[in-house]
Amino acid sequence: MQEQAIIDLATYNQLKELMGADFVEELVDTYNIETGTLIEQLHQALASGEAASFGRYAHSIKSSSASLGAIVFSLQARELEMMGKANDLSGAGIKVEQLATNFLRVKQCLEDLKNES
Amino acid sequence: MSHNVTPGRLLVVDDNKVNRLLLGRGLEQQGHRVAFAENGRQALEMLHQNEFDLMLLDIQMPEMDGYQVLEKVASDLDLRDIPVIVTSALEELDSVVRCIEMGAEDYLIKPVNPVLLRARIGAGLEKKRLRDQQHDLIRRFATAEVAQDLEESGFALGGHFVEATVMFSDIRGFTSLVEQQSPADTIELLNTYYTLMFEAISEKGGVVNQMVGDGLMAIFGAPLPLPDHSEQAVRAALEMIEMIDMFNFDQAASHRPSIQIGIGIATGQVIAGYTGTQRRATYTCVGDTVNLAARLEAYTKVAKQPILIDETTRQSLSDTINVKNLGPAEIKGKNQALTIYSVPVG
Repeated sequence: MQEQAIIDLATYNQLKELMGADFVEELVDTYNIETGTLIEQLHQALASGEAASFGRYAHSIKSSSASLGAIVFSLQARELEMMGKANDLSGAGIKVEQLATNFLRVKQCLEDLKNES
Repeated sequence: MSHNVTPGRLLVVDDNKVNRLLLGRGLEQQGHRVAFAENGRQALEMLHQNEFDLMLLDIQMPEMDGYQVLEKVASDLDLRDIPVIVTSALEELDSVVRCIEMGAEDYLIKPVNPVLLRARIGAGLEKKRLRDQQHDLIRRFATAEVAQDLEESGFALGGHFVEATVMFSDIRGFTSLVEQQSPADTIELLNTYYTLMFEAISEKGGVVNQMVGDGLMAIFGAPLPLPDHSEQAVRAALEMIEMIDMFNFDQAASHRPSIQIGIGIATGQVIAGYTGTQRRATYTCVGDTVNLAARLEAYTKVAKQPILIDETTRQSLSDTINVKNLGPAEIKGKNQALTIYSVPVG
């Protein structure tokens, strides 16, 4: 049940069905690497106060996460995207930390799903 | 629902690798050829280097964003016909409106529903195909200049005054020539003749806008302005005569009849524009100058000179072109005699 909350299984399974299991495995690997990089870039943009870049990295995370079914995680990224757009990063530090922690759970969950098949 | 979509060459532009892979996979499964760009700048480079039938464009990207790409594409004659489907996770209505206003065909919010994407791509490719066909038709039945004028200013019946030079040319004794040879030979002769004449005329900036039987009408200075239109028209005429001489040389070698042409040229104000109906129209020029050029062409038979020009044309010529004053001549449709000039050949 925990896993379903992190990754929406309906979305994930539909993706597998449409695109093929092998492709989705590759996609998961790419997603895990790319999202890790984007979270690092999010940290850097926050440290240097670049709100526009901050918003763009969060936007990118939001978009690919939704595609893989990480709906809740995607919504958290969306919140950060909005902060970047509003050019107001106050209180963003704690939210980036939360996002980074949640990413580890998303990543694990995707790995588990991949190994299940 | 499985539509059979004709494969196309697609460009997927997205800074997020997962999105690129996902979109690319879906499209390749449908048989399309897919290339990828990571940002707007790279996309524009690729659009200039290769031919694409459709572009899927993300908005939020580093270096150059999707709005900037839409702007560049819309203002580029070579690129503006490529349908663009925006795929973005920006869900604000103003972003959608902005993209559509900037010329995007469609705006799909990510994650993109694969069935919807497939339908949109099918529609986009169909649109591209129709546009390509339309361009081909315009280019085949209109000159490059008219095609450019149509593409830039759009089509509207109606005209305006332009200062231009008009040329009429036809084959002497064409009727008896037709009687001497087979229909296939006649058509072949006409095709060669037109090819040679078109080349001479367009090389000097003129536009052939009418072909009737063995005759043609060309305009220098419209629809696009040409600074020294009189001089260019006369130079084209000399070139045409030279080409006919070479053509006759080949004809003689294969024991075929030779041909002679007569050319009349007049300069002045013409009314230029699209005439006809909304369904069928042509770019043409009318007015006194046009009539005079036609009359001069007819008068070449009387004067026994291949090229005749009017006074206004002569006045605009540089010293490098020789002319011979033939004195006043009675030209049909003119109340008083006009001074006309011949341009000696060779």
